[in-house]
Amino acid sequence: MIARDVCADVLLGLAVLTVASASLGVLLMRDAYDKLHFVTPAALVAPVLVALAVLVQMGLYENTGETCLALLAMVIAGPYLSHATMRAIRVREKGDWRQ
Amino acid sequence: MVLAFTATAIAMLISLIPAGIVIARDDLPAAVVGYQFITAVVVMVLVLLAQGFQRSGLFELPVLLALLMFGSGLVFVRALERWL
Repeated sequence: MIARDVCADVLLGLAVLTVASASLGVLLMRDAYDKLHFVTPAALVAPVLVALAVLVQMGLYENTGETCLALLAMVIAGPYLSHATMRAIRVREKGDWRQ
Repeated sequence: MVLAFTATAIAMLISLIPAGIVIARDDLPAAVVGYQFITAVVVMVLVLLAQGFQRSGLFELPVLLALLMFGSGLVFVRALERWL
């Protein structure tokens, strides 16, 4: 039980570190293109760590399944959203994303 | 252990402050990026709070938000591209 708790704590700590550093990246980077790179760790890496923490803590249980479902939706949606955002910013600046 | 999940949720909520500053201060494309960052983190916060409070029913919210995040994000970037 203690090993589970420690393992979950470590995973949660890593998730917080990932989100905090990504947050600083979003704040400090110069333009939207650079900032967008820092959304990915928060949208893909940290949810995996949180889902692993729930899995370690609860085992295979209903809550773990729903957490993994949310994670799956984020993992699928994240790259599409990043690409669409990058494309929209490019269209907004240049008129056409291929230029 | 309940405390660990709740404390993580609070720490993640504090991490949203820089993204809020970006939304308030920077230009529109950067604000959309900040919005996407906040949405992604809030999904995790809801998972952590549901786990922290040991309420199975609350796990529906992050699943729904994760699905809606995709649609709302695309609407935002489409509006950014065409009308804003």
